[in-house]
Amino acid sequence: MATAETRKPDIAGMVIAGLLLLIALVMFWDASAMQGATTYGMGPKAMPFVIGTGMAVLAIGNFVLAWRGDYPERESFDPKAIALILGGLAALIAIIGLGGGFIPATAVLFAATATAFGRRAIHIDLAIGAVLGFAVFLLFDKLLTLSLPAGPIERLF
Amino acid sequence: MLPVRILCRGALIAGTVMFATAAFAQTMELKIVAPAAPGGGWDQTARSIQQALIAEKLVKNAQVVNIAGAGGTVGLAQFVNGTKGDGNQLMVNGFVMVGAILMNKSPVSMSQITPIAKITEEVQIMVVPVNSPIKTAKDLAEAVKKDVAKVTFAGGSAGGVDHIMAALFVGAAGADASKVNYVAFSGGGESLAAILGGKVTAGISGLSEYEGQIKAGKLRAIGVTSANRIAGSDIPTFKEQGIDLVLTNWRSVFGAPGINDVQKKALGELVEKLVKSASWKDILKQKGWDDAYTPAEPFTKFLAEEQTRVTAVMQTVGLVK
Amino acid sequence: MDALYALMHGLTIATQPWNLLYALTGVLLGTAVGVLPGIGPALTVALLLPITFKLDPAGSLIMFAGIYYGGMYGGSTTSILINTPGESASMVTALEGNKMAKAGRGGPALATAAIGSFVAGTLATLGIVFLAPWLVNVAVNFGPEDYFALMVVAFITVSATFGDSPIRGLTSLFIGLTLGLVGIDKLTGQPRLAFGVPDLLDGVEVTTLAVGLFAVGEALYVASRRHLVEEKLEPVRGSLWMTKADWKRSFWPWIRGTCFGFPIGALPAGGAEIPTFLSYSTEKRLTKHPEEFGHGAIEGVAGPEAANNASAAGTLVPLLTLGLPTSATAAMLLAGFQQYGLNPGPLLFAERPDLVWGLIASLFIANIMLLVLNLPLVGLWVKLLAIPQPWLYAGILVFATMGTIAAKPSVVELSMLAGFCVMGFLMRRFDFPVAPVVVGLILGPVAESQLRRALQISLGDPMVLLQSPMSATLLAVAVLALLAPFALKGMSRFKASED
Repeated sequence: MATAETRKPDIAGMVIAGLLLLIALVMFWDASAMQGATTYGMGPKAMPFVIGTGMAVLAIGNFVLAWRGDYPERESFDPKAIALILGGLAALIAIIGLGGGFIPATAVLFAATATAFGRRAIHIDLAIGAVLGFAVFLLFDKLLTLSLPAGPIERLF
Repeated sequence: MLPVRILCRGALIAGTVMFATAAFAQTMELKIVAPAAPGGGWDQTARSIQQALIAEKLVKNAQVVNIAGAGGTVGLAQFVNGTKGDGNQLMVNGFVMVGAILMNKSPVSMSQITPIAKITEEVQIMVVPVNSPIKTAKDLAEAVKKDVAKVTFAGGSAGGVDHIMAALFVGAAGADASKVNYVAFSGGGESLAAILGGKVTAGISGLSEYEGQIKAGKLRAIGVTSANRIAGSDIPTFKEQGIDLVLTNWRSVFGAPGINDVQKKALGELVEKLVKSASWKDILKQKGWDDAYTPAEPFTKFLAEEQTRVTAVMQTVGLVK
Repeated sequence: MDALYALMHGLTIATQPWNLLYALTGVLLGTAVGVLPGIGPALTVALLLPITFKLDPAGSLIMFAGIYYGGMYGGSTTSILINTPGESASMVTALEGNKMAKAGRGGPALATAAIGSFVAGTLATLGIVFLAPWLVNVAVNFGPEDYFALMVVAFITVSATFGDSPIRGLTSLFIGLTLGLVGIDKLTGQPRLAFGVPDLLDGVEVTTLAVGLFAVGEALYVASRRHLVEEKLEPVRGSLWMTKADWKRSFWPWIRGTCFGFPIGALPAGGAEIPTFLSYSTEKRLTKHPEEFGHGAIEGVAGPEAANNASAAGTLVPLLTLGLPTSATAAMLLAGFQQYGLNPGPLLFAERPDLVWGLIASLFIANIMLLVLNLPLVGLWVKLLAIPQPWLYAGILVFATMGTIAAKPSVVELSMLAGFCVMGFLMRRFDFPVAPVVVGLILGPVAESQLRRALQISLGDPMVLLQSPMSATLLAVAVLALLAPFALKGMSRFKASED
């Protein structure tokens, strides 16, 4: 908790409060666009309005916290590590989406994550990831009949 | 929601019994798309077709692909976009999809794929708890006429066959169908519990689902939706009781969009051979489905009629603007 | 006593050597598939069901039961070791279990989960024998208004997962509630917050959210702070096994967890998640070590695990007495019966007692097998944590995404996973608790639809909530639970001033 002297408005906290308010507004907008008629009891719109109102109130609460500087202090973070992991996930989605198959997707994600955690041996990690992916594929797809996305490599087996 | 395609290999094992066969299911295979998660009606139909086709050696191989989501419309969209002109594709769907397309404002429709045949149907049933003062469908119709709001119907998801049947019943009873008080439950178990506990006036479902409860004397059947009385059954039809309500939950198979006449004919012949096979008849008996084989031409006409009827009902109930 | 005799008969069949082997195989296979996040016990059973077709009825039922228990325990294992809940019901296990594992107490956590599930399974089996006919009457008469009242009680207990700031806790909960709105409204078919994306019409999958927030989100957070604090994982610190204190601290949570799980599991729409929440918050209130909660308290693993298991046995009550399949798992059990051309219904007990009691006995044997198989493996499992950190986290990510890929190989679903992982990272960075999001997603939709059903049946009259005795009682409990902490605080202040 920050001491009295260092308390000043927390910009990031206000952005969060703004996002929460935005979510509330989207919910109101979505609910008011509904045209379903409910004859009895409570309709589908009621709950979005209740939750949206709660969200708006919480947005104000968070704004007050941020304004008073009551948001927790944050330590510096390593953007490269974040970028690597998210990049790995994006690559995985792209490879699977484009039909590249499970094994290469897994290998890329594995290597990217290991690098984010400080390993500096991308070739070895790619190989380990591929072997892991292959083993998983054999075990789950072939033996336990779970169907994993197949690309050119998987079709060989 | 539930995993897609997961069971397909599993069922393949069930059909061919050995682990190893899963590995070479590559050449010349019929793909049967079930636009639902494993376990539901369409999935079971797809798997039964697969089982019978393989047992009768009508195809070299058949694989079931589950594409779940949004009442089958996610599967339909993928089928329309991904299989153009492919004569080795078959999709299972049925009555429920007609409603789901309207309700979900699906960008694709059943007229974009190639009707092959209607294959099965299940009669719908209406029940009341055994201690209910309502004895017949006529009693219920009277109650509906007196105060439509006070008569609650329990059944499956909104816009499904149970919902449509409730609306048709209220309309046929002479009350305002747009005022039907239909309570949608998420699963068969939940709605059955609500009926047994007397929380609702009446319950609606497929015939087989309540059979055990009726036999055990916990539920009273007040009417079935078939046109004629089911052989060997003492449950009266709605029609006999003077209520104009005939409806079946039918299931059908379609071919890929844009297939040529030769491909269409081949699929039609395959399905005809399938429904006439002994394996298929065994399955129907085991599952309690009724054979409703109707080839492409009359089925196409029937489909158009059903589409008109469902659209009208859904507009009345307010599910579709 | 007929029931007990029938159970004994079932047990003698189930303990024949071949059948024991089937049980063992089932548990092994079930664990192997069940460890995948997103593949819960129901699906594990669905996946492996065809294998059991080849056996004789007794053998197949037994293997079936083994697969089921294996699948359930597999989900708990990953929850504890790598913070990846294999299914929604083991989410609560991850809260304390993973903290224990990171503190070198993974062994006792896994052991208390396994033994707790055994204790709960045994007690619940006895519950089926003696209480089923009575309990099922309660279950059938439990109406929508009563479910809603039960949800209110559950919502109040959620605050146990809030951490120290109510505003931040509530914010998390409301994010979860918002996610719960996504998809087709069950009662009217109206799409909500789907923005025209068909893949969103079925709503947000609980496991996708939990895996994204918990496992992947945490990996991201740990990676981003590596330059500040090197996370050190000791696989074993102190005893690998449960100490005497662990046993003492686990015993009552097991019993209480069973008392939550079994009756709620028997309700047609009760589910396995709510009893785990109730158990967790109860243990948090009753514990003598409140400072350990949030840092790896063994009670927080023992209670919810027992509750999860007991609720699974609870679903057998409506299934066997009425033929009501009330969960995905129960539906799979039905499939097991249908192999023999049986249509389960209220007459099943009378017509085929051998099969019914055979199944119950098999579940019991499978539970023992699970213990026999898993306790010796605990040492091996915790060694997983000795893998060098980069590879460990890389493996966790591969594993977490693979569960989603296997369950629903769509780009939309994977993108949602990635989105939730970013959300999990940000929430950790800004000190928002993550568990309430998942709780909101689970409870919100149920509470909403049950309330709306109740109001629809009563034609909009809210008094229905107070007219049902069950609902009125539950609401009173909720009010008490809400006010009790304040009252207690006031009392202790009073005492303090007295001194």
